[in-house]
Amino acid sequence: MIDCQQVTKYYPLGSGRKKVLNEIDLQIRPGEHIGFLGRNGAGKTTLIKLIGGVELPTSGKIRRRMSVSWPLGFGGGFQGSLTGYDNARFIARIYGQNYNEIRGFVEEFTELGAQLKMPVKTYSSGMRARLAFALSLAIEFDCYLIDEVIMVGDANFHKKCHYELFEKRGDRALVLASHSPELIREFCDRALILHQGHGTIHHDVNEALEIYAAL
Amino acid sequence: MGTFISGWRIQRRVIGALMIRELVTRFGRENIGFLWMMVEPLLFAALVGFIWRYMKGPEEHGVSVIAFVASGYLPLTLFRYAVTRSVRIFTVNSSLMYHRQIKVLDFVFVRVLIEMIGTMMAYLFIAILLISLDEFPVPADLGLFLAGWTLYCLFTFALCLVLAPLSEMSDVLEKIMPVTTYVMIPFSGTFNMVSWLTPDAQKAMYYSPFVHGMEMMRQGIFGDRVDAQWDIKVPIAASLFFILIGLAMCRRVRRRLVVE
Repeated sequence: MIDCQQVTKYYPLGSGRKKVLNEIDLQIRPGEHIGFLGRNGAGKTTLIKLIGGVELPTSGKIRRRMSVSWPLGFGGGFQGSLTGYDNARFIARIYGQNYNEIRGFVEEFTELGAQLKMPVKTYSSGMRARLAFALSLAIEFDCYLIDEVIMVGDANFHKKCHYELFEKRGDRALVLASHSPELIREFCDRALILHQGHGTIHHDVNEALEIYAAL
Repeated sequence: MGTFISGWRIQRRVIGALMIRELVTRFGRENIGFLWMMVEPLLFAALVGFIWRYMKGPEEHGVSVIAFVASGYLPLTLFRYAVTRSVRIFTVNSSLMYHRQIKVLDFVFVRVLIEMIGTMMAYLFIAILLISLDEFPVPADLGLFLAGWTLYCLFTFALCLVLAPLSEMSDVLEKIMPVTTYVMIPFSGTFNMVSWLTPDAQKAMYYSPFVHGMEMMRQGIFGDRVDAQWDIKVPIAASLFFILIGLAMCRRVRRRLVVE
């Protein structure tokens, strides 16, 4: 269970500040799949970062009573100057996992081969997405936070993500920020629409997608 | 108690992982790798020592010039590297905030720890080399030396804990840092003993937290050949003061840290 209470986030803007999220209340229960909908800049990524503990809310509380992955996106979670293998080693160390198992999974999932010996900054965005996915799927979490990243990559990558995330780990909670109506409709039980800082939760995903399309 | 032990395990894991990562990113895997960490202070202490030897003669105030320079310069490199590399350390490492078990304090801690290990290795190496050349005494009191070293490192850590968040709040700090570390050299006890100074200057030096650790280290090395003056109350009180302020500032900066 993840419990967000009255979560508000400001960012500095010029000499003043901008309210990105305004008193968001949200509960994510084990096994639940929630889609975040919102236009560019509506605060989807910000809310995911706050839930993942990457940034802290200006006010309000977030309680995590299950293990939550780091937000899966293009950049975060690994370091560009290190190689793919070194990143895997680092993740294995800080999460107390066996490196050999993680390495095996990463090699198989990413299919990057010798590229894993190169610094991550030399990777294309599709390759980064593969590595990011592999690293976070290599650690078992109760809840995965996924920010757009599923959209990049080729058909083969989509198939693998689909299998690892929605079939093998279908019982885990999932937060999915996406602009793709198909993805949200197919995989989410509920949707949160973020608009002008406010969040409204919809239990009917189709209804939420209609509202989102009209924004 | 159970949460404390699991917290401690996570902490140790994180510190270990961060240190390895730091060494790999900074020195790479090629050629002599992390041994570079000790080469630089080594070269500096050795070269400055030899230059001074020819400028001032082999001995000053009854101790070897080379040994005296080395014993002052090595702790100073620790301080300078730790402080310079603490600037904007949170922004530089912000991608690591994706992992909740890593805290901003770990960055500062790891930074100082790495410098401590590197400088200690350099110190050990240079001392053995100079002892074999008969330019460095066998330490008179190793325990006192290590106690002084610990106090010196403690204060360096405390200072970094304040400077790191301060550099995130204001860009001015980054600009004035090099000149400040340079100007503080006379007040650090690096190149002179307190007892060599005038009585007025001695009184002022009492309030410099660095001096006490340095004097303890010097007495630990040279024994009775130097007249060391130290009081552990000053560096401990100063360190606690800066640690308290630093912790509060780190907390504040973390709340506002924007991670890409």
